[in-house]
Formats: sequence, structure tokens, C-alpha cells
Amino acid sequence: MSTAAHDAVGAAAGVPFFSQAASFDAQWPRLRGHLTELLEIGKLSHGPKVAELERALEAWTGARHVVAVNSGTDALVLLLRACGLRPGDEVVVPAFTFIASASSVVLAGGRPVFVDVDPQTYALDPAALAQRIGARTRMVMPVHLFCQMADMDRIRALARGHDLTVVEDSAEAIGMRWNGVHAGLLGAGGVLSFFPTKTLGALGDAGAVLTDDEQIARTVGALRHHGRFGATLNDFGAISNATEIAGVNSKMDDIQAAVLLTKLERLHDDIARRARLAAAYGEQLADVPGVLRLPTVVARAAATTPVFYVYLAEFERRDALAAHLAAAGIETEVYYPRPLHLQPCFADLGHREGDFPHAERACRHALALPLYPDLELDAVQVVCDEIRAFYDGAGSR
Amino acid sequence: MLPFFPPDLFEDDRDVLLEIVRGVATAPAQRFILGAHVARLEAALAQTLGGAHVVACSSATSALGLVLRALGIGRGDEVVVPAFGCAPLASTVVEVGATPVFADVDRSTLVVDPDAVERAIGPRTRALMPAHVFSTMAPMPRLRALAEQRGLRLVEDSAVAQGAVLDGRPAGLWGEAGVFSFVQVKTFGTAGEGGVVVTADDDIATAARMLRNHGQDGRRRFTHHRVGTNSRFDEILAAFQLHRLPGLQARLERRAEIAAYYGERFAGLRERGIEAPPPGRDGRCYYVYSLLARERDELARQLAQRGVSSHVYYPRPLPRQPAFARYAAGGSWPNAERASARALSIPIYPHLDDAQVELVADAVCAFEPTTTKEAVLER
Repeated sequence: MSTAAHDAVGAAAGVPFFSQAASFDAQWPRLRGHLTELLEIGKLSHGPKVAELERALEAWTGARHVVAVNSGTDALVLLLRACGLRPGDEVVVPAFTFIASASSVVLAGGRPVFVDVDPQTYALDPAALAQRIGARTRMVMPVHLFCQMADMDRIRALARGHDLTVVEDSAEAIGMRWNGVHAGLLGAGGVLSFFPTKTLGALGDAGAVLTDDEQIARTVGALRHHGRFGATLNDFGAISNATEIAGVNSKMDDIQAAVLLTKLERLHDDIARRARLAAAYGEQLADVPGVLRLPTVVARAAATTPVFYVYLAEFERRDALAAHLAAAGIETEVYYPRPLHLQPCFADLGHREGDFPHAERACRHALALPLYPDLELDAVQVVCDEIRAFYDGAGSR
Repeated sequence: MLPFFPPDLFEDDRDVLLEIVRGVATAPAQRFILGAHVARLEAALAQTLGGAHVVACSSATSALGLVLRALGIGRGDEVVVPAFGCAPLASTVVEVGATPVFADVDRSTLVVDPDAVERAIGPRTRALMPAHVFSTMAPMPRLRALAEQRGLRLVEDSAVAQGAVLDGRPAGLWGEAGVFSFVQVKTFGTAGEGGVVVTADDDIATAARMLRNHGQDGRRRFTHHRVGTNSRFDEILAAFQLHRLPGLQARLERRAEIAAYYGERFAGLRERGIEAPPPGRDGRCYYVYSLLARERDELARQLAQRGVSSHVYYPRPLPRQPAFARYAAGGSWPNAERASARALSIPIYPHLDDAQVELVADAVCAFEPTTTKEAVLER
């Protein structure tokens, strides 16, 4: 097949990086029901559907407390504050993750300290953590990226030994479990992001804190509502409750809560579908030259439950491959093109290239392929064929 | 019972809202945050503000925080804020690491007293942050002159005042930057949370845009120039606001009409210990209509008996809130204390019909004080 013909096939197929449009119609009657109920009650943020969602997520995750907020980033900031982060406290975070893992520390008044990641799981490397614990280290924030959790047994053992609070950035980790315990509940608390492309995604920004600690839940609950304690959900009048602590406005929209309640009903099916698609990628890419690393769920002493939120593989000439796929109508995403220690906003921490080789290598080679429940197995085939074509020489001009 | 917070604000727009949700959910773009609807809303609002920049955010509170960050206000800085008002006036200052300094308010308009602001200015003061309160804009011409004179930044908490105009200049554009709130009960409330930064200053606008989305420049994803936040606005609500915008002027007009009627009806209630807000349209925006009543709790009780719900906004001055007491040692704010003891807000939303408006006015006018006229006048 000629390159031109191949491109034409790809472009005609067109594989978006994310879409939930096809399955939405099937969910619409349920969602419309939630929205109609919501409009009857008439409190459209921090209202009845947000309360319902919190209880449903508690049941789904097993968390004692789920506190709904405006975004996963806000969830991290409020969780760090509720865990007692003080100005100048250091929090160890991985160098390869989304910016919020570190910006949340700064926003909460602390200082991020970067360490390298494990090259297979892309999660904080416990050995690197052990070396960086110092006198001002107060917390450690493992991040569970893409399809599996950080090594929580070793991280928790280190944290116990050094009296560190474990705060999990489990924004991507809904459904992931460690010995049956949901991600986010292995330390003081964790977060969920409901950014639209997430395994459980809203149609806008939304997030949550999950914790088994009642005091943390109460504090986060107050911080999101201008520092007002008490049962503020679905109560207009609560805006005149006393401001006990300096808080923020991070109330969740009930429209988004209604979307999440609707999608939560099919979350198990969605997760199974993601696993099936990931397996298909794995089979088809196994012998493609140019593939440097396919996602591998690492065996642990603990029983773990992986969830394929992102299908992230490493490729030779990653940017050229992405351009080739884009020309064929296949959208991909680079998670993440630049490690946190080399971000302009953290220039004052004085890091340089070479400080965290695993993080830097991942940034050079990692590419996320389309993965979402609406994706057809045929589309996986199209994507893999294009990747193979690229390395067979057709796309290497 | 006539509610104070009406649950049926969007009764006529239900079908439109449902269609918007479905439309955004199934659109080929699959874009849900900071997309084409948000850009259109920002442009439409900019037109109502003489072409000023409009930056849509997750709330007016977060918008205020973005403005303070954009101005570089932080640790060691002081910001003069009113002693009577909503928590974000102080909490956003605390959030960026600065210190709020409280200035007392005017006894009857309840907005910050410029003389008190001037007295609160010290060597560490970096900014003044007045707020418009209930239906009245702060005395912006004087505050602007004061800020210029003393070389201070001027942030306008105009969260409640979208649509108000003072001396020909819209609320939000008197300061270097202002904000509007879209929380549902506001004059341009939406079906959830939201807000905007408004500013004529290119640099503040650019910084606010960057800071609302993790310090990214909007061109290169995952390069973070500054430590930012997530304070973005959703496509669904932007589309809904675009639908609601053409009706805004009429809704503001209806609020003003109700306020004018209340003003006429309440003119003679002083001897029963009830003061109505001053009449007029310049620098006014009737988001909340708040009476000052000597026997405030008794008034609320009697209104409820007559089927009218009311609400006490700000039952404590900001320096008396536990969260901010540490910034308030030794100060006194008698007018703010008085406002917190007396303010009572009554329904004024635009879909009140004339009979309901009369019911509210009748209920207020029927108020019987428990103390004698002489005792009231003595105070």
C-alpha cells in the first residue's frame, strides 16, 4: 500500500484521542432524569446531586468520606491543607507527573521536592524517596499514573519510619486497588479528578477528596465552602455560616454531579472495556519495531487491581510518529513532554537536565494512544497499522 | 412562603439547558472546558464593557485570587479591604500570603468609607480592594484618586454589581481589574458556579488567562510558565450564559423597578426603626435589597409570619469571623458591627410578579416594633 493511500484510509477512519459522543445517547434518559430532578429542587451547585454523588462514590470506592470539589487540582490543595501542611514544609513528589502534583504543594504553602520515577510504572521510585527524606520533609505524594499504582507497601514503610504523611495523587486512579483498598485510601487521603477524559469523566471540571479520616473530611468540606463548617450541601442559607478558616470556593456543579452519577452506573463495564482495548494494543504492538516499551502491569506482593485510564507506550522518534499519526487523522497526546523539574515555573529550584534520567527519558519517548470505552477494536487496528507503517519506512521521510 | 432564594430561577430555560447539555456532550469537538462557547461568552461580555478583557473562571472568588496573583501581591503585603462583606474579600488576600487590613464602612450605604481606607494605609500597603455591597457601588472615584495618589494597586470586588454604572463607567472597570460572579442567585447567575475577571489592562488579562489554567500560555500544552491554578469555565455553562445574556438588561431593569417601588413604600418606616437603601440609579445594581432594622430578628420573624422569607447577609463583620480575627487585633469597626446587627435582605429577584412584590412591601410596612417609638428614635 502506498503512503498516500494509507494516509487516506487513516484520515477517513479518523480516530479522535477521546470521545464519549457515541455512547452518550444511551445514557441521556438517565441523565435527563437526574437533571429534571435537579431543576425541580433548584440548587444548582453544591446541591442535591453533589450530595448524592458523594454517597455513591463512598459506596463505590469504600471510602468513609468523599468530598466533592471543583477539580482534582483543588482537591489536592485542600487535602494538603487539611492534612496540616505548614509554610516551608517539604513534600516529596515525582518529577514525572501532571503539574498539579507539585503546584498544589506550592498553592498550599509548601515546597515540592522532586525525585525520579520507576521506569516501568512511571510512579515515584521508593529508593529515590529514601534518599531525599530530610529534616523538613513532612509529606510524600505518590502519584498513580496511567494504569497502575505506585509501590505503596514500600512508600508506606518509608513514611512510617520517618513520620511522613502520605497524600496520594490518585486523580487518575479510580478503580485501582491495593490489597482491595481503593487508591487514595492507603494514606491520609487521596483525590479523584473527573476531567472529561478520565475513567470517570464529567462534561466539565470536577474533582473529589477521598479519605477515611473524619477530621480531614470535615476540614476539606469547610475549605471548599469559604471555610464554613457544618452541613452546607443543598442549603442556600449556609452562605451566612461563620467563616472559621480562610477557605476557597471549590463547590461542584450539580450538572456535573448528575453526569457523574449517570456514568458511575457503567463504570465497571467501562473499565472492562478499557482493559480489552489495552490488551488489543498490546497484542498488535508487541512485535512492532520502534516500540521501546509497552505498558506493563508490575507484579507486587500485594494483590493489585490495575485500570487502564491511559495507554502509554514509549516509541523511537516519538514526535515524528505523532506527526505521522496526526496526518492520518489519529490523535495522540504526549503525557508529559517536560518533566516537572525542568518546568519554567520551578526554575528557582535549580534543577538541570540529567537530574532525573527516568523522568526525562519518559518525556522524550512516551506517547498516549486513544483509549476510551467508545473506541472500536477496529480503530485500535487502524492505529497499530499506522504505527507499524511508520516504522516500516512508509512514514519515516 | 415566598422564598428568599428562589429555586425556579431558570424555569423558562429548562428545555434550553437540557438541549445545551446534550448538544455539548455529543458535539464532534468533544470540548468541554475553555472552548468555543467560553470564547464567545468572553467576547460578548467584552462588548458590554467597551472592549475590556474578560477572562472566564470557575468562580468570582477564584477570579479575585487570580487578580491578586496577577498583580504580584503576596507575602509581606497588606491589602485594605472593607470590614463588612463576603469572606473572599479577606480569604483571597490570605490565600496569596498577604495580610488583610480592615476599614470600616459607611453607616447607611454599607460600602467602604474612603476616609477609613485612607487611615488604614500603612508602609506595607500594596493594594486597596473595595467591594460593591447589595445594591450600592463603593465610592470608586475617590478610591481611585486615593490609589493613584498613594501609588497603590486598585482591585474592585464587583462580584455583585454586573450591570451597574457609576458616572458613566461600568462596575468592574473602575479598578485595575474587577470580577463578576455567576453563582446562580447573582444578577447574571448561571446553572452552577462561575465568574470572570474584567480588566482594561493587557498584562493583567494575560496573567489571569495563564494563571486560570495551570500557568500555561494557551498555545503549548504542558509547559507551565507560572505556578497557576485550575479555575476554568465550562462549555455547558458558557453556552447557557450566552442564551441568558440578551435577557439580562430586562432582568436588571425589573430588579431596579422593584427596588424603586420598595423605596416608595418604605420611606416612612424610620420611626419604626427600619431604614431602606437610598433611591437612585447611578452606581446602583439591585442584586440584593437590604434593609437596616433596629429589631432585625423581630422583623424577620414577622415577615415569615406573613409569608415572606428573608436572609441575613454577613451576620458578623469580617474582622469578627474566627478565620480573620488574627488580622483584626485592636481594631474597631462600629458601622460594620451595626450593619451586621441590622441588615436584613428581602426578595428582589426579577421573576417576582407585582402581587408578590406588593406582598413583600405590605409585610414590611405591617411591621410592629416591640419597643416604643420614643425608644427607637432615641437610638
